[in-house]
Amino acid sequence: MSDLLANLAMGFGVAAQPYNILFCLLGALVGTLVGVLPGIGTVATIAMLLPITFGLPPVGALIMLAGIYYGAQYGGSTTSILVNIPGEATSVITCLDGHQMARNGRAGAALSIAAIGSFFAGCVATVLVAALGAPLTGLALLFGPAEYFSLMVLGLIFAVVLAKGSVLKAVAMIVTGLLLSMVGSDLETGAGRMTFDIPELADGIGFANIAMGVFGFAEIIRNLELPSESRDILKAKVTNLMPTRQDLIDASGAIARGTIIGSLVGILPGGGAVIASFAGYTLEKKLSKHPERFGHGTIEGVAAPESANNAAAQTSFIPLLTLGIPPNAVMALMVGAMTIHGIVPGPQVMTKQPELFWGMIASMWLGNLMLVVINLPLVGLWVTLLRVPYRLLYPSIIVFCCIGIYSINNSPFDVVLSASFGIIGYWLIKHDFEPAPLLLGFVLGPLMEENLRRAMLIARGDATVFFTRPISGGLLTVAIILLVLAAMPKIRRRRDEVFVE
Amino acid sequence: MSEGVNPSPKQTLWGVPFHTNNVIGGLIVVALGIVLLAYALYVPSNTTVARFMTAAAIVIGLAVAAGLLPVRSPRDFYGGIVLALLAILALIASAELPGQRGFAFGPGTAPRLFAILLAGLGAAVALGGVFVEGPQIEKYKIRGPVLVVVAILSFAAMIRPLGLVPATFITFIISIFGSTEMRWLESLIAAAVMTVFCVLLFVWLLNLPFQLWPRYY
Repeated sequence: MSDLLANLAMGFGVAAQPYNILFCLLGALVGTLVGVLPGIGTVATIAMLLPITFGLPPVGALIMLAGIYYGAQYGGSTTSILVNIPGEATSVITCLDGHQMARNGRAGAALSIAAIGSFFAGCVATVLVAALGAPLTGLALLFGPAEYFSLMVLGLIFAVVLAKGSVLKAVAMIVTGLLLSMVGSDLETGAGRMTFDIPELADGIGFANIAMGVFGFAEIIRNLELPSESRDILKAKVTNLMPTRQDLIDASGAIARGTIIGSLVGILPGGGAVIASFAGYTLEKKLSKHPERFGHGTIEGVAAPESANNAAAQTSFIPLLTLGIPPNAVMALMVGAMTIHGIVPGPQVMTKQPELFWGMIASMWLGNLMLVVINLPLVGLWVTLLRVPYRLLYPSIIVFCCIGIYSINNSPFDVVLSASFGIIGYWLIKHDFEPAPLLLGFVLGPLMEENLRRAMLIARGDATVFFTRPISGGLLTVAIILLVLAAMPKIRRRRDEVFVE
Repeated sequence: MSEGVNPSPKQTLWGVPFHTNNVIGGLIVVALGIVLLAYALYVPSNTTVARFMTAAAIVIGLAVAAGLLPVRSPRDFYGGIVLALLAILALIASAELPGQRGFAFGPGTAPRLFAILLAGLGAAVALGGVFVEGPQIEKYKIRGPVLVVVAILSFAAMIRPLGLVPATFITFIISIFGSTEMRWLESLIAAAVMTVFCVLLFVWLLNLPFQLWPRYY
């Protein structure tokens, strides 16, 4: 316990350095901005900003990127409540009651409860990340290559089963990502693999190229063919930001439950903030004495999902920071960011770079505090920004992405490469393939191959080692059970229902 | 969400009934297969497995085009087939790499392992498309994708010879044509603002070594 406090104190020492506070603030603001604007996803934004963070010190860069992630959860609710369009996928469900509250003239209360709920959830999740960090890291340090490989398999399977869409197709996407990650020089022998004699491919496909192509460019192409949405922005001025005492009493239970369920879902790979918000809302509706009020502007319907998504956004850092396994696409980008700064994500981060680990955790709490303090007064500004039409927004994103990609290696080839991944991403969307598992597979690819090779070498070529070693065998068994469960018709139907709702 | 194309029109040619979409889709698969087969034959190493798999894909493509194989879910069927073809491409491309030596993986082991896995998964997805009813492929649009890609490619072409300022401005203008709602004055102002913003951010604030204007000017 005293260790924990000492570590947190060190973390706050790092996070409170003026530069880091600035990065945290910047990240939170940018996050809120993209959260507010529909049509720009968190993944695309973090991919876009990756090149900018190259010049920063690693701690500052990661603090900023983390800020974007939870800031976006925050900003998404603003658009949901005021415009009835979710700014982020995680705020889809907040539209239901949030916008109704706004129509009833209680936009201020809805916004402030969303903020307070998020802040509370953020505080709890920060403590959870700090508390679970040490024991999980200790566990991970006991793992050998076989266990590590199996753990990654389990993580990927979890990510697939808990995400929406066909499990088979998602597994196919993971393997595609793994294959793509093998393009370039072999780690051990240096032999060029699948490079088609293109010298630019000798170093492998850049992580940012795939991320920006598949998430940035493909999304834009996709959005261009959808009919432009009319944004019916609430004209009335938002007044009365303070919730009444009754509001706080009504919402407190929902905030607490949303935080708990969000934290749990966030730790599981694949789930992340989207599922958390749905789970939080559904639970609240089931437990409520007046379920009929949901959908007509009840404050619990805003408090629960907003607390849950923020809690999940933060606890999803746990598998990344302790085990080195990214549970969702955003965390995969964080792996990319860490790798670029020469940090190998995994249990050794905590022991080798404690100031990075604890500084990031402490900055999450600071960031959440800033979001509450800054954002409520800035609601008016965000609403103004919503008036920028998409037809001007997307060319800006394209230009920004182009410059960003080019600046990584000063290579026009990288820009061409990400354009091709834009086309591939568009094709994937048309054929109903999720791009997120592809990115996860791509990021985990080198690590998986390395551990697979090492495990096989240690076991003298005996492939059964993955099942005969107890921990590894247990992890793989769980993975197989999960896959079988997801494939069973009854459960599959139930799963489809959950995601349709 | 609209489900794009209507079920493919059934037509007859010389008394033989056929579905337009199946013919087009099947022939595309055949064409991709032939390209892959040519590549497999060109590569000096042993590509027997890949050749057999490609031949199977070509036969499947012909069967679809001839109407012998029903496609109940085109989205899954063609998606799976293309992934399988991609796997075969990876298989051919990594054919020359040395494989397992003793207990140690060679550089080629893992790529081939995962390529075969992907080929299997792609085939499974395609098989699902044959047996399970599913939606049509959403219609591909031309304008948006083409203009966005042209804009990005022109950036790649312009950034070295012309410098950051013209590249940014022109890319912005090209990409804005991807939308049908473009207005000239507004676009020019926005492009100028964005160019200034990018120069300030990347060159002035982040200190990245960009050349701003055309060389030799």
